[in-house]
Amino acid sequence: MQIAVKNISKDFGRKRNAVHAIKDISLEVDHGEFLGIMGPSGAGKTTLLNMISTNERPDHGQIVIDGLDLTQLHDRDQAKYRRNKMGFIYQSFELLDSLNVKENVILPLALNRANKKLIEERFNYMMQLLNIEKLSDRAIDELSLGQRQIVAAARALINRPEILFADEPTGSLDSKSATILLNYIQMVNEKEKTTILMATHDAFTASYCSRVVFIKDGVIFSEIVNPGNRDKFFEQIINMQRTIGGGDYFNVSKNY
Amino acid sequence: MYRKIIKRSLSNMRDSYLIYILACSFAIGIYGILLSIGDSPSVYIALHWWDSFIYDITNIMSSLFAFFAFIYMIYVGGFFVKQQRNEFLTFEKLGMQRWVIITISFFQTAIVQAVAWLIGLMLMLVFQKFMGMLLFYLMQVHFNFGMYLSWDDLWLIFQVFLISTLILSVINAIKTMRILQKKQRRTIVKTRWWLRIPAGLFGVVLLLSAQVATLYLFKDMRTISYSSRPLMEVAYIMVADIFGTYLVYYGFLPTILNVMEKMRSVSYSGINLFSFKYMKERLFQNISILWFVTELSALALALLTFCYFGYQAVHQNYNSAYPFELAANKDTVKVIGGELKKSDAKVKGSYKTDVKINLVSYYSKSSQSYIRQPMTFMSYSDYKSLPKRMRKYNPKINGHEFLKIDYNSSIMYHNDSKEHDIEVKDAPMIQTAKQGHSFPYGSSMHFGPMMIVPNKYYKNMPSEVKDTFYGWDFKKGDRLSKQQLHKLGNYRDAYYMKVDFKSSLADSTIEVMKKEPNKYEAATYTQAGFLRQGNLKKQFRQGGGFYLFIVALFSIALLVALGSVLTLRILLRDDYQSTQLRTLQKIGVEESEIKGIIRRENTLTFLIPIVFALIQSFAAIAMFDFGRHISKNIVLIYAGYIILYGMFGVISFQVSWRGVKQKFKL
Ligand SMILES: Nc1ncnc2c1ncn2[C@@H]1O[C@H](COP(=O)(O)OP(=O)(O)O)[C@@H](O)[C@H]1O
Ligand SMILES: [Mg+2]
Repeated sequence: MQIAVKNISKDFGRKRNAVHAIKDISLEVDHGEFLGIMGPSGAGKTTLLNMISTNERPDHGQIVIDGLDLTQLHDRDQAKYRRNKMGFIYQSFELLDSLNVKENVILPLALNRANKKLIEERFNYMMQLLNIEKLSDRAIDELSLGQRQIVAAARALINRPEILFADEPTGSLDSKSATILLNYIQMVNEKEKTTILMATHDAFTASYCSRVVFIKDGVIFSEIVNPGNRDKFFEQIINMQRTIGGGDYFNVSKNY
Repeated sequence: MYRKIIKRSLSNMRDSYLIYILACSFAIGIYGILLSIGDSPSVYIALHWWDSFIYDITNIMSSLFAFFAFIYMIYVGGFFVKQQRNEFLTFEKLGMQRWVIITISFFQTAIVQAVAWLIGLMLMLVFQKFMGMLLFYLMQVHFNFGMYLSWDDLWLIFQVFLISTLILSVINAIKTMRILQKKQRRTIVKTRWWLRIPAGLFGVVLLLSAQVATLYLFKDMRTISYSSRPLMEVAYIMVADIFGTYLVYYGFLPTILNVMEKMRSVSYSGINLFSFKYMKERLFQNISILWFVTELSALALALLTFCYFGYQAVHQNYNSAYPFELAANKDTVKVIGGELKKSDAKVKGSYKTDVKINLVSYYSKSSQSYIRQPMTFMSYSDYKSLPKRMRKYNPKINGHEFLKIDYNSSIMYHNDSKEHDIEVKDAPMIQTAKQGHSFPYGSSMHFGPMMIVPNKYYKNMPSEVKDTFYGWDFKKGDRLSKQQLHKLGNYRDAYYMKVDFKSSLADSTIEVMKKEPNKYEAATYTQAGFLRQGNLKKQFRQGGGFYLFIVALFSIALLVALGSVLTLRILLRDDYQSTQLRTLQKIGVEESEIKGIIRRENTLTFLIPIVFALIQSFAAIAMFDFGRHISKNIVLIYAGYIILYGMFGVISFQVSWRGVKQKFKL
């Protein structure tokens, strides 16, 4: 077990206007697991990911990663931990338009002041792994949306994070690009043994995971483990979504 | 709905609007104060013998002020329209009609202007009394300044408000219309290195040559009375500075960042990978503003320098014209002494010095001719025993040196070269004499030049005429009444000297006459009987105070304008740029690093103009401070300017960082 989330909760706003975004969630994630977090818009997926990745502090509860209680750390140490051990992919890519593909991808390593040789080495490896070598000198606004998300993934993975967080990574993509991206993520999960936490409201995307937890109104509703067959898993997820209600398959999420 | 849109965009940019409104209301407040001080009854009563001078000056100044403030408003108001560009384009996409968007822009400007005027008028009411008292204090007038605002002024202010707001709103509406007409997105600046690098190099050459010319100017300035060289140098320095600065900004600022960006060892470490690109982009946008601010700062510093040295020169001139409050000679001392006893003047100090008058002849280099004239001689020790203020502006001499004191042809520029080979009747020739312009007992007490000579020389020299000068200092003036002054008027001339020049100096003679000769002959000189400061002193002080008041007001206003332009430029980032900063934060860049980027941007934006401005204003000092070390006061004035300017930098950083942080929380 790598990540242990113990009874965390989080409110936004005060008193009468308070939103209970997360109400007492506990969760355990193993090394190398590909965990999906599903739920309708506003269920609290993003909030949960933000807390596990130390971008936000929970009001109550603990988050323990590799035996270290992150909620006890200072902001600075949290940031350091985040930078060294975690990678992020967002629905809106969050690439820097003023930099080209290569510069975007190597940014995390440059931030850690890695040496030049290591940077080139890791960059070449990443581009080969994700099969985007020919993009390396392009500007960001010359790329298709699918290509952008893959570049974002390359950036998230370049400093070999132990945990990859992906918040609706396929949210802006058409289904073909989404399939390509998900295949890559799955491959990285298998090859690099990276633990992946992916939030999505889309059943097809979730079917790539090895396990999916469903949350609704800030609590865990249930969970399903991938039986080893993606089509069957997909069916199970759809059924579960129907049971939960509210979040439907065709819903268009507007949260990012 | 439209109300809501206007309200929202006003609150979105509230930090920027706040700074703009404060700067505007400052200008409006000053405008109102200048306008109302001019015809305030307090000023009229307290300063009645300035006549309409104060009124005229404040009126002219307030119009000038209003004019520049208006230009500032047009210029800076444009920033806000530009900032809302995307918003306006989105409105149009959402199907809002063009005229509606233009109307929104119109009213937004009108509202902001109205608020600025409201605050400005409040500032005016609150600070009018304070500024009036400050003016009186600087002019050393003891009088209570009463608050006053005439209906005429109020009506004028209202008209100015109405017209300027209307014009500004229309201008901004037109700008909005132009934005809607040509919709192209972010224009990408072409770099064109082949143009920038040579341009930058040429700019550096220009700036360097201007500095070299400045060094020459330090040397050549003293020749201004007869040579056109210094003026040509000044003209060259101005042109070279103005164009050189622009070329350097245009060519080199981006090039330097570009080179650093290309150096992997620098750019691959830490946040530099991003920050050089970001900084370059921001600089590209701001080059002409940086240039503008640089030149205006240099202008402000140069103006301060001119004002300082101008004031110094007038002050010095006044001091050497009236070193004593009252001066007399041997013929008038009795009468004046008597009158002083009758008035209840409190004498603080009295001085007397014997002088000898003799004939001299020499070749004057400045007028390029032989001169023969009577000259007043004073001994070194007598000269030294006078109050220090008499000697302050003269070159220092020791007991063996000669000092010739002569009139000044210009108040600003002194001809300080030495005089040589002065023949004195029946005394040894004076080989070398230093030159000064500050007469003991005041320039009007002398009919011609004066010579300070070593004691021994003085004792041994013969004289055509002997005289004694007297000088008094008082506590609170000489208290002479109008009647007494009228009586003293008869003693204005003590005696007349008719000089009979022969071919040799030894044969020439002076004839002293008590009565004015009927026919004015070229060779007749008049010795003044007495000299009085009287009202002049008061007037001089008041004029100086008024001058200081106006200069300080204008330089502070200029500083506020420049500082706020830079601050607003930094605050008004494109959406695109602030999104990038937010992205950095999302991918795990620490807040302190982003703060570092903003600090660096801020520092560069503020530091570059002031450094270049200081380099340029060096030339202004050169025009006045030549030959001597740079005076302490000028350094203080510059330091004050830099500190105030730096405060703007600090404030702008704080506000800028606050704004970015707020965006992060969204
Ligand atoms: N910064 C915030 N301030 C106030 N409420 C928030 C904030 N972030 C999220 N919420 C609220 O918390 C709930 C969960 O949001 P979120 O985690 O973004 O949901 P999801 O990602 O599953 O769509 C929502 O009701 C949302 O409105
Ligand atoms: Mg979300």
